[in-house]
Amino acid sequence: MAKKNRDQEIKLSASLEDYLETILQLTRAKPVARIKDIARARDVKAGSVSAAMKRLESLGLIRYERNEYIELTVEGARRAQKVLSRHLVLTSFFEEILDMPADEAEEEACAMEHHLSDAAMDKFVRFFEFLRTCPGAPSNFLELFHGCRRLDGEAECGFHCSDPACIDDEWQKNRTTINALEHGQEGTIMHVGTAPAIRQRLLDMGILPGVKVNMERRAPGGDPVWIRIEGYQLSLRREEAEGVAVEV
Amino acid sequence: MIVIAGQPNAGKTSLFNALTGSNRNVGNYPGVTVERREGKYRFEGKRYDVVDLPGTYSLSSFSPEERVAQKELLDHTADVVVVVVDSTALTRSLVLLAQVIHLGANTVLALNMSDEAHAAGQFLDLDLMEELLGCPVVETEAHKRVGAQKLKSVIARAAEQPGEPRPPVLGERLSKALMSIESMLANTSVKHEQRSWVACKLLLSDREFTPLVESQGEGGFEAVAQAAVLRKQIEEQTGEDISVFVAERYHGFAHGLVTETIQQRPRDDARVLSDAVDRVLVHRVLGLPFFLAVMYAIFWVTFTVGEYPMGWIENGFAFLADLVSANWPDSTAPELRSLVLDGVIAGVGGVVVFLPNIVLLFFGLALLEDTGYMARAAFLMDRLMHRFGLHGKSFLPMLTGFGCTVPGIMATRTLENERDRLVTMLVLPLMSCGARLPIWMLLVPAFFAPSMRAPMLGAIYLFGVILALSLALLLRKTVLSGEEAPFVMELPPYRVPTLRAMLIKMMERSWLYVRKAGTVILGISILMWFVTSYPKADARDIDQQIAADQVTHQEGRDSIAATLNLKESFAGRLGVAIEPVFKPLGFDWKLVTGMIGSFAAKEVFVAQMGIVHSLGESGGRSESLREDLARNYSSLAGASLILFLLIATPCMATVAVTRRESGKWKWAALQFFGLTVLAYIISLVVYQGGLLLGFG
Repeated sequence: MAKKNRDQEIKLSASLEDYLETILQLTRAKPVARIKDIARARDVKAGSVSAAMKRLESLGLIRYERNEYIELTVEGARRAQKVLSRHLVLTSFFEEILDMPADEAEEEACAMEHHLSDAAMDKFVRFFEFLRTCPGAPSNFLELFHGCRRLDGEAECGFHCSDPACIDDEWQKNRTTINALEHGQEGTIMHVGTAPAIRQRLLDMGILPGVKVNMERRAPGGDPVWIRIEGYQLSLRREEAEGVAVEV
Repeated sequence: MIVIAGQPNAGKTSLFNALTGSNRNVGNYPGVTVERREGKYRFEGKRYDVVDLPGTYSLSSFSPEERVAQKELLDHTADVVVVVVDSTALTRSLVLLAQVIHLGANTVLALNMSDEAHAAGQFLDLDLMEELLGCPVVETEAHKRVGAQKLKSVIARAAEQPGEPRPPVLGERLSKALMSIESMLANTSVKHEQRSWVACKLLLSDREFTPLVESQGEGGFEAVAQAAVLRKQIEEQTGEDISVFVAERYHGFAHGLVTETIQQRPRDDARVLSDAVDRVLVHRVLGLPFFLAVMYAIFWVTFTVGEYPMGWIENGFAFLADLVSANWPDSTAPELRSLVLDGVIAGVGGVVVFLPNIVLLFFGLALLEDTGYMARAAFLMDRLMHRFGLHGKSFLPMLTGFGCTVPGIMATRTLENERDRLVTMLVLPLMSCGARLPIWMLLVPAFFAPSMRAPMLGAIYLFGVILALSLALLLRKTVLSGEEAPFVMELPPYRVPTLRAMLIKMMERSWLYVRKAGTVILGISILMWFVTSYPKADARDIDQQIAADQVTHQEGRDSIAATLNLKESFAGRLGVAIEPVFKPLGFDWKLVTGMIGSFAAKEVFVAQMGIVHSLGESGGRSESLREDLARNYSSLAGASLILFLLIATPCMATVAVTRRESGKWKWAALQFFGLTVLAYIISLVVYQGGLLLGFG
C-alpha cells in the first residue's frame, strides 16, 4: 500500500519515464549525461530536452545545472531502473517467446513499459523463471511454436501441419485423426475442424473435445467409418473423420 | 396444442402413434419437403391436438428439419412440448431437452425406451430429475404403448398448470454473456421467455436470427453488435470456437443431469447382441452380398407376391366395367358411358392396380427402418453413392423408384441437404418404375428372340441406373454444385420391430400415394381420355374404310372405328403433326400418339398401342399385338423406342410430385424437358448409329 502511494505521488508521463530511462542508460556507458547526448539518443531537439529536465529536476528525480552534466537522484535512479527492467522483460518476451524481430520488439516494449503494473511484471518474471528452472517444462515447445505455420494463417490447424518444425516424434505419434484410428483403437477428441455446417452436426452428435472415440469398423472400401462414442454409434465419411483430431 | 420434439430414432413417431391412435393426418410444412404429422386425442373429456415435429439432433438452423422444428417451437405457442429422449443414449438425447427448455417452452420429458435401458441395467432417480429440471418426467415404452396413459395425464396437468422449467445451467461465462445480450433485446418484439434463446443464437451468429433481430431497429442492432463483441471475447478467453463452446455447455448440462440422477449405470455389454449381429451383417466382405440379398428379397416379395392381388384387382375392375357396359346400353348417353368406362373406371383402376406393389414395398422398407438395418444399408452404400455426388440415404428413394417414381420422390424427404434431395429427385424417373414393366413385357418379346429377352430386361434396368448415377454426377458438378451434407448418422442398436408400428408406417405412405398420386392420375386420365377420344372421326370415313378393307365381322368394324377415331383425336393429330420430328428415331405417328398417351401413366402406352394397331384390345400379353409390332417395326426401332420410353417424359404424376416436393416449377420443368431431350439424343444416336452399322 505504501509503495503504491509513493508511485502515485510522483506519477510521471510516458515521455518523462523515457527520459529517466535514457539518462540511466547513458550514465552507465559514461559517467555523466549531457543534454545533447540525451537529445541524440531520443532523437529530439535540445530545447525540448531541457524543458523536460527542468520538470524532472523540480520533481527531485535529477540534479541539473544549466549547461552542466545531468545526474539521477536516488529516487530518480529507482524509477529509471524500474522502467528499464520492464523494458528488458517485455523486449525479451516479444523477441524470444513471440519470435518478433528485434526492432519491432523494442518498439512494442517501449509502448507497454509505462503501463505494466507491478503484479503483471511479477507474472512475467515468474514465467521466465519457470521456463528456465522447471525441469518438467518441455524444452522444445518454443521451437515447435515458432515453427508452427498456422500462426501465419498458412494452415488450418496444427494437426495437419506438414511443417518440419512441427514434426516431433513423440508429439506426432500421439496425435492423429479419427480416420487414422485402427480397428478397435480408442482416442480422445482434441479438435473438431471441418466446414461449419458439418462441424455443427458433429458437435450436436456429441463429437466434442475431450470425448473418447472408438473405431468400430469401416464400410467396404474404407469409407465411411463406424465409430463408437459414449455408448452410441455413429457413421462418418472419411473426409469428415479426417477433420477430427484425436489423441491416442 | 401439444408438440412432440425429439431426436431421430428416439421413438418420437411411436409415441405420437401411441397417443393419437388412428387420428392422424400426414402432410407437408409449407414450402419445404418436411413431413408434418398432426393428430388428436381425447383425455378426460378434453380434446388435445398433437403435432409431431421432424426429428432433429439440435435446434440449429442448418437443415430444413431443424429450421421447421425451431420455427414451430418459437412461433406457435404450444401449450406443452413433450421432449422424447432415447433412454439408452441419455446424455446426447438430453441436449435437445436443454435447448427446448432454454427456448422457454412448457416442457414434459418422456424417457422413451425405458424398458431397454432397464434391461441394460440403467436406473434413474426420476423425482430428483423432476426437481432439477422443474418439469414432469415420465418413463415410456412407446412401441408397446406403455406409459401412454400416464403421459396423457401428465400432459393434461402441465397444460392446465404450466410448470416452471428451470433455465439450463450453462456456466457463468455463457450465462453472463446471454444476460447482457438479453437486456438489449428488451426493446425488440422478441418475447420475454425466448430472449435468452435468441441471445444464444445471436452469439452463434445464426444466419436466420441475426437478420431477423437486426430488422427490429435500434435495440436489435445493439444486441447483434453486443453479441459480436462477446463472441470475440469468449473465443479469445477460452481459445475455443463459439460453436464448440456453446455445444459443450449444453452437453455439460446434459452430462451433469445424468450424473446426478443416475442410480445405476448401464452395463457396458448392453449392446453385445447387436454388435455381434453387426459383425456379420456389416462385415467388410459379407456386408454387401447380404445387403443385395435383402434388397432382392424385398423386390421379390413386392413384385412376385404382389402379382396375385394385382390380378384380383384387374379382374375386379374388368368385372365392374363389364357390369356397367352390360347394364348401360350403347344408345343412352354414349358420351357419358364412354367417360365412365374409359375415363373413370380405367383411371381409378390404373391407380389402384399398383397399390399391392406399393403397400408391399413400403412394408419392406418399414421393416428395414424399424429394425435399424436401413442405417446400416446407407452406411454400406454411401461410398458408391457419394462417388456420384449422392448420399448414402439417396439409395432408399432410388430403390423405391423401381416400384413407383412418385413415392420414391416423396422418400427423398429423408435427405437433409436440399441439393442432395433435388439431385435424387431429378434423376429418379430413370429408375425403371413398375408402370413401365407392362411396356417392357409388351416390347421386349416383340423385338427380341426368346434367349435375349431376360438379358435385355436386365439391361434396361441397368442402363437406367447407370444413366441416373451419371446424370446425378453431372448435376452435382453443374447446376447443383456446392457444399455436401455431412454423413454423420446414428447407427441405432437393432430392435425387434412391432407389427403395429410397421403397419401404421406402411398405411400412412400408401395412403399418401393414393391421395396425392391417385388424384392426379385420375384427373389426367380423364383429360387424356378426352384428348384421345375427341374429336371423333367422320362416320362416313369409317364406313368407307370398312368397305375398302372388306371387313364383315363386328369386331373388325369396331377396331377400324377405334383406329380412325384415335387418329382424328387431338392426341392423334398431335402425333401426326410431330411425326417428322421423331422420324429420325424410327417412330411413326402411332408410336408418337402412344407416347403422348403414356404421359398420363406409363402403362397407358400399352393400351394405346392396342388401339392404334387396330386390335381394340388392351391386354399387354396379347400375342397378336406383339406380332403386329414386330411386323411393323425393326428391332432397331424397337430398341430406340425402349430407350426413349425409359428416359423421356416422366409421367404427369411424377412431374406434379416433383413440383410439389421441390417447391418450384423450375425443377419439374428441368426434369421434364431435360430428360426428354436426353432421351431424344440417345435414341437418335442409337437408331442412326444402328442404321449406319447395318442393323435394322
